[in-house]
Amino acid sequence: MTTDELHPRPSEPQGIELPAPSSSPFTCAFGVTLIAAGLVTQWIVTIIGAMIMLIGAIGWFKEVHPDDREETIPFEEGPAAITARNQKVLRLMQGTRHRQRVPAEIHPYSAGLWGGIIAGIVMAVVATIGSLIEHGSLWYACNLLSATILIGVESQTAEQLAQFNSTSLIVAITIQVVMSIFIGLIYGAVLPMIPRFQLLFAAAFVPLLWTGLTWATISVINPTLQANIDWLWFIGAQITFGLVAGWWIIHTEKIDTMQNWSYLERTGMESPGIPSQGGEES
Amino acid sequence: MTQATAKSMPSASTMEAPVAPRRNLNRGKLGMACLICSEITFFGTLLATYLFYIGRDISGPYPQDVLDISVAPMKVVFNSIFLLTSSIWIVLAVKALRKGRIKTFACWWLLTILFGVEFLVGTGMEWYGLIVDDGLTIRTNLFGSGFYTVVGFHAGHVCCGLILLTIIFILTLCGYMHKRHTHKVDMLSWYWHFVDGIWIAVFTIVYILGTA
Amino acid sequence: MTILEKPKQTLHTKDPNASFLSYMHQWIATSDHKKLGVMYVTTGLLFFLIGGLEAAMMRWQLAWSGMDVVGPEEFNRLFTMHGTTMVFLVGMPILLGVANYLVPLMIGARDLAFPRLNAFGFWLFFFGGLLLYFSYFGAQGLYGMGSAPDVGWFAYAPLTERTFSRGHSTDYWILGIGISGFGSIATGINLITTILTMRCPGMSLMKMPLFVWLMFIDAILIMIAMPPLTAAQIMLLFDRWLGAHFFDTQGGGSAVLWQNLFWFFGHPEVYILILPAFAYVSEIIPVFSRKVIFGYPLMVAATIAIGFISLGVWVHHMFALGLSPMVNAIFMGSTMLIAVPTGIKMFNWIATLYGGRIRFQTPMLFSLGFLTQFLLGGLTGIMLAVVPFDWQVSDSYFVVGHFHYVLFGGLVFSIFAAIYYWMPKVTGRMLSETLGKWHFWLLFIGFNLTFGPMHVSGMLGMPRRIYTYHPDRGWELWNLLSSIGVLFQIAAILFFTYNVLNSLFKGKKAGDDPWDAWTLEWETTSPPPEYNFPEIPTVHSRRPLWDKKHPEDPDWKYE
Ligand code: HEM
Ligand SMILES: [Cu+2]
Repeated sequence: MTTDELHPRPSEPQGIELPAPSSSPFTCAFGVTLIAAGLVTQWIVTIIGAMIMLIGAIGWFKEVHPDDREETIPFEEGPAAITARNQKVLRLMQGTRHRQRVPAEIHPYSAGLWGGIIAGIVMAVVATIGSLIEHGSLWYACNLLSATILIGVESQTAEQLAQFNSTSLIVAITIQVVMSIFIGLIYGAVLPMIPRFQLLFAAAFVPLLWTGLTWATISVINPTLQANIDWLWFIGAQITFGLVAGWWIIHTEKIDTMQNWSYLERTGMESPGIPSQGGEES
Repeated sequence: MTQATAKSMPSASTMEAPVAPRRNLNRGKLGMACLICSEITFFGTLLATYLFYIGRDISGPYPQDVLDISVAPMKVVFNSIFLLTSSIWIVLAVKALRKGRIKTFACWWLLTILFGVEFLVGTGMEWYGLIVDDGLTIRTNLFGSGFYTVVGFHAGHVCCGLILLTIIFILTLCGYMHKRHTHKVDMLSWYWHFVDGIWIAVFTIVYILGTA
Repeated sequence: MTILEKPKQTLHTKDPNASFLSYMHQWIATSDHKKLGVMYVTTGLLFFLIGGLEAAMMRWQLAWSGMDVVGPEEFNRLFTMHGTTMVFLVGMPILLGVANYLVPLMIGARDLAFPRLNAFGFWLFFFGGLLLYFSYFGAQGLYGMGSAPDVGWFAYAPLTERTFSRGHSTDYWILGIGISGFGSIATGINLITTILTMRCPGMSLMKMPLFVWLMFIDAILIMIAMPPLTAAQIMLLFDRWLGAHFFDTQGGGSAVLWQNLFWFFGHPEVYILILPAFAYVSEIIPVFSRKVIFGYPLMVAATIAIGFISLGVWVHHMFALGLSPMVNAIFMGSTMLIAVPTGIKMFNWIATLYGGRIRFQTPMLFSLGFLTQFLLGGLTGIMLAVVPFDWQVSDSYFVVGHFHYVLFGGLVFSIFAAIYYWMPKVTGRMLSETLGKWHFWLLFIGFNLTFGPMHVSGMLGMPRRIYTYHPDRGWELWNLLSSIGVLFQIAAILFFTYNVLNSLFKGKKAGDDPWDAWTLEWETTSPPPEYNFPEIPTVHSRRPLWDKKHPEDPDWKYE
């Protein structure tokens, strides 16, 4: 058996050789099944099965020995020639860059980072103002945020939640910083991919989605915490974050993705003779 | 786009995008290698089970009493040597066939079969001793269950191998085997090596680890 | 090339003078990968109807508390046969059948590497399935009646031992599944060999369609994961017939060992079932977005990673067993890890959609259904991977919700996508778009109505595999919703059945390449001749037909 047999010569005038049909595999499989079936019914079935399997095996062996039995399949009408459809191929970009991956330009990661940090600060301010107005305390929102991690805080009364608590403050600041940077980076990556209404996406769609999800599931996840949340201020703070982060990111200058750079350029090597960024296509 | 460019492109493509060279992987051997892979996971499962149950029996006979190489059967080592050396004979047989020396092939092939048969007979005798003298059957305890299953399946594979080898031998006697069948015979030899290899694993686990 | 005068071949090459017997013989004796593929899928779909009927019976019984449609014993048989059927007699044959049909076409070969072994594999599966169902008549149950297996699809020891499972029903489960398992292993090996040795000139591994890559890894998983099941089943058989003690807890055997062995097969098995779904949508989404698949090399890498990791997560099915916290933690980690390559795939499909000119035809609708539903199933999977959460909901309807979102919402939806997409190639006729849309929307609604509420009833504490429940648990509404969903699904399946039958006889002619697609199967006629390609093609890129259609802008320049 050589690999050449796998692809019979196409120019044979008669047709193409393929393995001849054979019922031996069928017989053999039937025998095997009968052998098994006999074990749970009557032993005689097993004997018959073994005999049938033997017949199948011998037949099969004859198919492949001394050489594979084959038959010639005559040619049929061939497939139609392949042509382009009568449609124009739409290009996202013209010229040499038409094969680029979109988005071809993105905001630098630093935009997401700074957008997140600034928006996080503004959001904290808004939430604190909310606490002041609703509860006359600077610390209410801060304590509530820490309750997503700290055990026991969520079951405190509104008065207790209005007290200053240093642990809560540290935890809340950590949560706020981590989440802000995280969401900011995601915004930075996602916003350039939104074709239109980017600010709407950042400042309305995502905050509403997140608030809705929280609102719908918090009764299961943390029912005691639920009682203490002012949903109006919650969503206000979310929207503020989205607005600030989105605005900041959208207004940074976009940069080229590195997809057109050569490998050397991407590794940051510089030497004479290496084409400049984005110039050549590989 | 003009007709000319359309025509010239394919030829350009064959020039610039060279067709990857085809490697001569043999179908039959690759299939056999895959079969061996799944057989390995099959035996792996049985052996893992055996390992898992080592030392968990609360009633004998224990492997230390009946299997330990120093206690009883040097026969097992002797048998193993027979099985393992048969691998050498089958290599020589395939070599002979590749060169077209049918008679030499038949001789080595027969030797392989005989060594295999010796192993099976040896296993049979060992089992006889275990069952009759030591009273160990598959229902006796966990050791019995594991031992007969693992060794039994290995012996079953040896048996299958021997049947196939014998068929080839008979065909050789009838003059049906030729140089061009080397691939198929070689494929069978892989299977035989695999059965040997598994025996090494079985031996290590059942006779050495299991009796420690 | 000479073209001989001969009537054009249709799916059923039928000479009007030929007798029924010789017609049957043509199918029984065939070793043609396309005929076998069709046989696999047809049988799989028939079993799908049977398994679906069993499910419908169960939903009817559970629709309200205290119903009396089937008794407890029958209920046990129903869920056992349903699960076993869907995994082994629907999922496996359909995935093997589609691969059978398409892999040789996609790599430009004339058949699988071992055509007769292929036929043998199919018939083993076929008879194995029949043997399993024969248990309804043949197995002597406790009361001397025939009875089907009733030990659950994972057949936990020691309930499967002789002491607890009298009669032969469990033996039928072992033998039927074992035999069809041998068939699957044979076909898996066949696929691996085919893919490695029979690719047409120019098709290096990294130029194979993703479909072929996924089926390659799938076949490797079959090759590695099925034999352990067979081994475990054989040990169980020895327990039952020869009095061995492997899983016999009274004789020192271990029930935990069975669980380990089963899930060492079982988890890879679920990935064996889902990789083909990935394969189908990885072909369909690019074609209907009119874009090349995003991140091909990463898709390949993720596939390989999934294959590897899926062999090392099985203990997450045994979190509630009481293994050591260390073991639980390790497998929680590995289970979470598998979500990473799966997530990569998700993102790459979405990135393929992004910026594309999406055509919302039926194959695409089902693919999008796959994306959303599989995402949800994956997310509940990650929830279940968290040990404390799993302790709460393990063995509850939440788990049932999870795996139906991945298997029904994922695999079955993608199978329908594949049928709408490739059936024109198989039969030469299109399926109706209108009926297809009805089918999709009814199934989409019905599916979510049935399996969405299960998450809730599971969280409310409803255990799986109970045949009825008390009225005071607050589960009735959710169960009723689930059962109502079944009606939509039945309607959907009726639409599908009619659509297929109608298309077979009256469907619009498809032509060679109805979707303006790019892989090699669309280069030949529909249905393809027995030899597939009059001339073995040579390829230069992952989209050979694109290169031919757009010689001015071929793909190989950019790959
Ligand atoms: C993100 C990936 C996935 C994760 C993290 C995951 C996790 C889990 C976990 C932890 C369980 C055990 C629940 C229990 O019994 O307590 C489970 C059950 C199950 N999963 Fe998944 N899963 C994932 C994807 C899949 C996929 C892709 C499939 C199949 C296509 C699947 C099919 C199943 C099935 C059938 C069961 C139930 C088995 C049974 O108990 O009968 N899962 N999954
Ligand atoms: Cu799993």
